[in-house]
Amino acid sequence: MMLPVCAVINKRAVSWTLNFLTIVSFLLVPAFSIADEGLVVYSGRAERLIQPVLDAFEARTGIPVRVLTGSSTALVNRLQFEGERSPADVFISNEVGTLEHAHKLHLLRPVAMKEIDRAIPSAFRAPDNSWIGLSGRIWVVVYNTTLVQPDQVQSILDLADPRWKGKLAIPNAGNEYLQAGVSVIHALNGKQMTEQFLKGIKANAGSFVFGKNRQIVKAVAQGEVALGIVNHYYIFRHLDKHPQAPIAPLLTTDQGSKGMGIVMNASGIGITAHAPHVAAAKRLIQFLVSQAGQKLFADLNKEYPLHPEVAADAVLPDRKSFHVAQVPLTRLGELRDPIMTVIEDIGLR
Amino acid sequence: MVSDSSTFRIPSVFSQSLSLISLGIAGLIVLPLVYVATTALLADSAVWGRLWTTRVPELFFNTISLAGTVAIGTLLLGVSLAWFLTQYDFGGSRTWEWVIILPLAIPSYVLAYIYSYLLGLGGPLDVTWQWLVGEDSHIFSPFTFAGAALVMTLNTFPFVYVLARSAFLNFNISYEEVARVTGATRLSTFFRVFLPLIRPSLVAGLLLAILYVVSDFGAVSLLRYQTFTYAIYQQMTGRFDYTAASCLSLLLVIFALVFVVGERWFRKTSRFYQTSGAFRRVKPRTCTSLQTGLITLYLLVIVGLAFALPVMLLMQWTMTAIAEGELSFRFLGFIWNSILLSGSTATLALLVGTPLAYLACRKPTRLNMLCLQGAYSGYVLPGPVAALALLVLISQMVPVLYGTTVILVVAYLIHFLPAGLQAMESALHQVNPNVEEAARNLGARAVRTFRVITLPLVKGGFLGAWILVFIQCMKELPATLLLRPVGFDTLAIRVWLEASEELFQLAAPPALLIIIVSIPVVILLTRRTGSLS
Repeated sequence: MMLPVCAVINKRAVSWTLNFLTIVSFLLVPAFSIADEGLVVYSGRAERLIQPVLDAFEARTGIPVRVLTGSSTALVNRLQFEGERSPADVFISNEVGTLEHAHKLHLLRPVAMKEIDRAIPSAFRAPDNSWIGLSGRIWVVVYNTTLVQPDQVQSILDLADPRWKGKLAIPNAGNEYLQAGVSVIHALNGKQMTEQFLKGIKANAGSFVFGKNRQIVKAVAQGEVALGIVNHYYIFRHLDKHPQAPIAPLLTTDQGSKGMGIVMNASGIGITAHAPHVAAAKRLIQFLVSQAGQKLFADLNKEYPLHPEVAADAVLPDRKSFHVAQVPLTRLGELRDPIMTVIEDIGLR
Repeated sequence: MVSDSSTFRIPSVFSQSLSLISLGIAGLIVLPLVYVATTALLADSAVWGRLWTTRVPELFFNTISLAGTVAIGTLLLGVSLAWFLTQYDFGGSRTWEWVIILPLAIPSYVLAYIYSYLLGLGGPLDVTWQWLVGEDSHIFSPFTFAGAALVMTLNTFPFVYVLARSAFLNFNISYEEVARVTGATRLSTFFRVFLPLIRPSLVAGLLLAILYVVSDFGAVSLLRYQTFTYAIYQQMTGRFDYTAASCLSLLLVIFALVFVVGERWFRKTSRFYQTSGAFRRVKPRTCTSLQTGLITLYLLVIVGLAFALPVMLLMQWTMTAIAEGELSFRFLGFIWNSILLSGSTATLALLVGTPLAYLACRKPTRLNMLCLQGAYSGYVLPGPVAALALLVLISQMVPVLYGTTVILVVAYLIHFLPAGLQAMESALHQVNPNVEEAARNLGARAVRTFRVITLPLVKGGFLGAWILVFIQCMKELPATLLLRPVGFDTLAIRVWLEASEELFQLAAPPALLIIIVSIPVVILLTRRTGSLS
């Protein structure tokens, strides 16, 4: 009785061991065969929006590119943890404050290239080109055209008015565009106004606090709420799919000689301090600031190209039809952390 | 047969070396926790003050109420299903046994994004509701407490079902007969004999479900329901400084440990063994056609909501994606990566978990129990936080592993070993120590006793443990997001990347693949637990 049991067990033990060894060896294969070639891109810009540009670059130069996408802030944190060991060559972010923050942490390196100086206005890059803006986006009020008259909102600050209670959708506290937008409001209107604004929109939004701009646009389009604050391209992306949606960007806010202007931000790129492939990284930047690269990069997301000679997508309102808030983009980086504290003190989610 | 002590003589050299091993393992698992706790305790009091006044009360309330509701929901669903499928014999009952477990193959975030579509304004369920109730009425929004509770319950009830089912199957009918012969009614037999005997299994299943809710990131983030884990993730991806995230993590860990310790205490006060000699399984009763109809309807609704409907939607979206030429051979790579990581972790979890579970069951000294509790802490350490702690620790201590998949396997192990341990412990508890003692008295060495006597008896349970770990790894999201090497995407990552852009069609193929890969494993689980006794 005992013998056959033992035989079974032993067979089983052998096959277990074999299975285990197989699995372990499989485990080690990818562990040590991670290729060390080509350009490595850390991108805070969604894969869908960056991959076609990188594919075009690869086709043009033959340099293979690998990309890791994530939240810009999380990628900066990762760069910092990785230090000298980081495989990243360039860091692409959708928000200048993050780039400036990475710059201040010495995670980016200065770049001297005539092409950059010629293509990108100096307001949209770090003085030493540690980061270079690539496309502009505005942080704007989106309204439901059947529920709201454009003249009901003169300033983005009006959204704090109790009349919009339960009718406003806002991004959550971790949203980089919210942080940057509030930084601009803070820089131009002071702390008290900013806190009043945040308290107001928090009360008005109630549970309409969204992790994604796209969800805000959708809520406005479906009439769940009347107003929202988003980056402009989410509105046009929605209109692309649903041309009949009753939504529009409100470009008349904060205009006129006394208005602070519409909040503008930029996406941008920087070469990392410990980049293993600096030459290839420079070629990527060279491509991205070229007219062809600018057009491709901006149009994919319906943004405004920063190169003065490159036209924006035809569906976008003329860039000259509104004026934008004048805050040095580098100031946004400085304000990032204090603003986060303010946002949290107010108790925004 | 009831015995109040399970400790018995284990040779000291053997048990001491086992203790040493499990101490080492527990130490490794606790290390990230220690790192997080230190960061949290050294935090500026202003950070704590801000958290206490702005976030903590809301998070406690939300987390407790969600976990409580899901616990009740899974208990009702899991126990009722297990009861129907073990006590009754009706057409198709053998098929239902494995069909009912299929929801385990669906990741919480997939179910969440499907329900945000189904229940959302103008979604199919909302439209149906309006048709039934009236134009002005809307079904509850998926982005509420009810939405989150529904999704989490539908996603986790099989945990309770599996454990309740195996307890029902291992139930010796003699107890019931004794109760009935001595005059107990059927109802009081159920409450006074049946329930107490299966209680340890139920509590284990419940704990699994509760910890799952507490540590889930995918569903609550998509449904925007603020729990601790989601708040921690928001802190981590939105801030450059992890202090506040560490503080919240520490609170979450303490919170979850209360449940673990409570369950352990509860199990200690009620431990049962069943004699194997006179074991006779409960004979399922044959159903009338009315009963069959009602039970089948009940099963259809639950499986429909938790599995069939979501999968049909995913298939439809996948077809569209294929028709539009969105699918490429890259998917094979994603499948391979997912299976590789999950398989390695599950095997490692068994190897690492065995000494911990064995010692906790057979020699529950203070030290051994401490090791076990230490290992359990990994489950409640939120995925992203464990990942970051690991990032720092590994890049300081073993930099050669940095940027490899090994770091991912370790993160998974920390996070999912407890799921396996739970099942392994339950299996070991079902083995009467007297059997092992008999082998020892007959002269077998401890290792041999374990291999020849214990292992075959717990094989089914251990396989169940492997499967639980494997499936959880397939679905893992936050740690993979933070730790994956460049260019190493898993299926879960693909789902998340596309779903977070609300590109349902593009998210569907990898989601469907995760489910397809998980299904055979899930079916195996029922087969094995079925043939256990």
